[in-house]
Amino acid sequence: MSNALHEPGLAVHVEDLTVSYHAKPVLWDIDFDVPPGVMAAIVGPNGAGKSTLIKSILGLVRPTAGHVRIHGRPYDSQRSHVGYVPQRSSVDWDFPTNALDVVTMGLYGHLGWLRRPGRNERDKAMHALTQVGMQDYADRQISQLSGGQQQRVFLARALVQEADVYFLDEPMAGVDATTERAIVDILRKLRDDGKTVIVVHHDLQTVQTYFDWMLILNVRVIAQGPVSEIYTPENLRKAYGGQIALLEGDATLGRDADGKVIPFEGQGKG
Amino acid sequence: MLAALFDSPSAMITLTGALVGIAASLLGTFLVLRGNSMLSDAISHSIVFGIVIVWMLTGQQSGPVQIIGAALTGVFTVFLTELLVTTRRVKNDAAIGLVFPVLFSIGVLLLNVYARNVHIDQHTVLLGEIGFVWLDTVDIGGYPVPQALLSMGAMTLVNLAFVTFFFKELKLATFDEALARALGFAPAALSYALLALTSATAVAAFDSVGAILFIAFVIVPPSAAYLLTDRLWLMLVYGSAISVVSSITGYGLAITLNVSIGGMMAVMTGVILVLAFLFGPRYGMIAQVSRRRGRQRANECRTLAVHLFNHEGGPAQDEENVAAALQGHLKWDEIHARHVLRQCLDQGLVTRDGEALALTDKGRVEARAILEPWRQEGA
Amino acid sequence: MLEFLTDYTIRNVALGAALLGIISGVLGAFAVLRKQSLLGDALSHAALPGVCLGFIVAGTRDLGFILAGALITGSLAALFMLLLTRNSRLKTDAGLGISLSVFFAIGIVLLTWIQTTGNASQGGLDSFLFGQAAAILRSDLWIMGGITFATLAVVAVFWKEFKLVTFDPVFARTLGLPVLTLEIALTVMIALAVVVGLQMVGVVLMAAMVIAPAVAARQWSSRLEVMVILSALIGMASGVSGALVSALGRGLATGPLIVLAASAAVAVSLLFAPGRGVVWEMRRRAANRRSLRGQRVLTTLYRLAAHHGDSAYPSEQGMVDAYYGIATAPVMRRLQDRGLIQPVAHAPEPTPHWVLTPEGIAEAERILASLGAQEA
Repeated sequence: MSNALHEPGLAVHVEDLTVSYHAKPVLWDIDFDVPPGVMAAIVGPNGAGKSTLIKSILGLVRPTAGHVRIHGRPYDSQRSHVGYVPQRSSVDWDFPTNALDVVTMGLYGHLGWLRRPGRNERDKAMHALTQVGMQDYADRQISQLSGGQQQRVFLARALVQEADVYFLDEPMAGVDATTERAIVDILRKLRDDGKTVIVVHHDLQTVQTYFDWMLILNVRVIAQGPVSEIYTPENLRKAYGGQIALLEGDATLGRDADGKVIPFEGQGKG
Repeated sequence: MLAALFDSPSAMITLTGALVGIAASLLGTFLVLRGNSMLSDAISHSIVFGIVIVWMLTGQQSGPVQIIGAALTGVFTVFLTELLVTTRRVKNDAAIGLVFPVLFSIGVLLLNVYARNVHIDQHTVLLGEIGFVWLDTVDIGGYPVPQALLSMGAMTLVNLAFVTFFFKELKLATFDEALARALGFAPAALSYALLALTSATAVAAFDSVGAILFIAFVIVPPSAAYLLTDRLWLMLVYGSAISVVSSITGYGLAITLNVSIGGMMAVMTGVILVLAFLFGPRYGMIAQVSRRRGRQRANECRTLAVHLFNHEGGPAQDEENVAAALQGHLKWDEIHARHVLRQCLDQGLVTRDGEALALTDKGRVEARAILEPWRQEGA
Repeated sequence: MLEFLTDYTIRNVALGAALLGIISGVLGAFAVLRKQSLLGDALSHAALPGVCLGFIVAGTRDLGFILAGALITGSLAALFMLLLTRNSRLKTDAGLGISLSVFFAIGIVLLTWIQTTGNASQGGLDSFLFGQAAAILRSDLWIMGGITFATLAVVAVFWKEFKLVTFDPVFARTLGLPVLTLEIALTVMIALAVVVGLQMVGVVLMAAMVIAPAVAARQWSSRLEVMVILSALIGMASGVSGALVSALGRGLATGPLIVLAASAAVAVSLLFAPGRGVVWEMRRRAANRRSLRGQRVLTTLYRLAAHHGDSAYPSEQGMVDAYYGIATAPVMRRLQDRGLIQPVAHAPEPTPHWVLTPEGIAEAERILASLGAQEA
């Protein structure tokens, strides 16, 4: 594995990635590229391997084959440039700590082994909390936070790392509408600042409004690219098989060359 | 013949051990399946409390009144544990580890204060001494039957009856508690009955094997059985069989090495578990590894086929569909890559022309099946 | 009385108990938060074969060898448990139970083997089974103290790493922390805590010493730093008080007394800890219910007055009683104390009547307005 830059122009370059759990393949030969400065969604049915894809990129799961590059370099050497927001359910929130403390934990990588978080770290953490609108909850026990507030704290923990690429695993699942809007706004701001944001998204209906790049995944790549090109009934049907009901006429599923919305013309339920 | 049997200490000891094992593993099967194994640990220890209280009230050290007292203590222990959990301030495992030490401590202190001169002491309760069961006998029909054998025999019959009679309900309550409740099977009551019987069996077994070795019989044979079969009734049978085998081999080894008989029996249950863990036909380590290896091999071939298909006729074909790409792009080391390539060639999925690799029709079908499953679904 | 405190043995026991309390309090906090509470139970039972092996190797009761043996077999048991649960369908509880009982059984076998060799000093081995605090020697204390100090130092140095690994091991991994190594380190330190305490409280009760101080401390604090320190203090206090009571010479075993002290701390904490305590929650709920009742009655009086178009309308208490199905006299009195209503006579009816004060009217309107805003 050479250390020379490999595909440095891409924020994320996944090549030939195959991942298996107990010899059962979960991801087949994934080729996935994300240009820098986009807000990308990864969608697919349950069990499609979306979380697994993120986890293998982050080195949490070992692939059977293939490799990953972040801005041209292997993930190991780029840890400080990558932020991760895991699913809220991955943690027991009845832990004795407050919101500020959780966010400060995001800086442990920067601090290294022996140093303790000091004034500098505290300020950075408060700044991140303010970015997500949680500054008033800094010393609130995390078990007393609502689902949306917990999600924001996780987001702040990733923000505090000041990364270039952010991975989020279903950040808007089960949160209230206000929080969802707030999160999208924060992510958009990151994108506008030139960062790359990659989100495993649970809600097909909002992909077009929130994201500009997408990957449709179902164990293998179905399609990837700009949302406007990729979000088609054809692709969705391929991914979801019989698990999706495409509404005729109502939902706008395509746009013609002028960007005008055209109703879906297809046969019955996909 | 029967007389010879009853006169032989080894037969009596082995038989008692086997009965302890059977009685314990019949109930233990359900505890293990529900994830409640450690409750048997809690009950076995807290029973000391019950034994002392009953002794203080009735003066009896053993017999039916102790057995009832034990059942009540066991139920009480679990009740307190669940009470702690309902406060939502203590997690399940912590609750277990808080309740039984308190009861055990109170029991020991009461012993310190009131029972200094009596034969009940921690030592016997915790460790038992199966080697002496044949000393304490009762005359039945002219045969000297060990007391412990009688009580264990009775307990085994009761447990067997319980498990047989409530088999359907226990099965449902273990695997689908919500459904059981909806059908009116009262899974909570069944659960408490199970624990009460476990406690009763524990105190009956104390004379023979003591508290901690009893736990071995409750948890280990059923766990070994769980690694050997998927069928509930077979689990019960295997658990009992393992108990019997452990009892016999344990006794033999203990006599040879001149060590604790009950301890050796428990160790043998562990040995059998390790054997099942390693060599179990379906769930053993070796079976799992070889199955995994086989699947991995099959998958690696398919990985290569998929990879070739993806880049076939595409712009990067010269770079991707060559032998060197297996190391460069798929990141397999040289030996591994050669292995897989050999396999694919043998299976007729791939052809090789110098450095270039190409899919055969068979290989293409294989790759398509993975990458485009929707094609098969019509439309 | 003071000689009692300066007695050599008693001082040893108290010191040993204090050390036990501190180390098991600190490590127990991590065990409990990682949902590994019963690991202490398994490790203490698995220590028995190690104790015997240490004795066999040393030829005599040498605490250093014995503790080393206990640590080794304890770690082996933890490893065994991990292997079983990771590589088969067996669940954690079964893994714990199997490890615990099989290793302990091996220990019993070794114990009886030692007994047959007739080694004179093997009587002391029993003390590890049931705890025999009085058998503690001054030299033992040095070893226990050394282990405790070293463990606390490790925890202090790597505090933030242990905290993160306990809270969110997956995130820790993405930061590049060696999560497996840290988890192994924690397990080994828990084993050390168990091993230190074995002589004082015995195999069976060690489980409680790892759990109780931590559970008690958790109720009082919402920060890990405070919880761990509190856990150490509660552990130490339980240890010392148990040791001292036992030393009063009534023949009461030390181990159970220490455990009861720690468990009492748990009970008190669960009930009375401010904010989290059960008693506090009950009082808070009762206060809420009371205030809600007061609000309802007040607004009813207001509505009655509004209905009759008379702000000085005297509402009859019996009627309000019937409406709510309870005796509202205490509620009325409380409202009166707050100056919101006043009793008034309404001849010829002899029963109590109440009328709203101007403050009462304002308060009722405020409540109704906020309710209305909610319903909107």
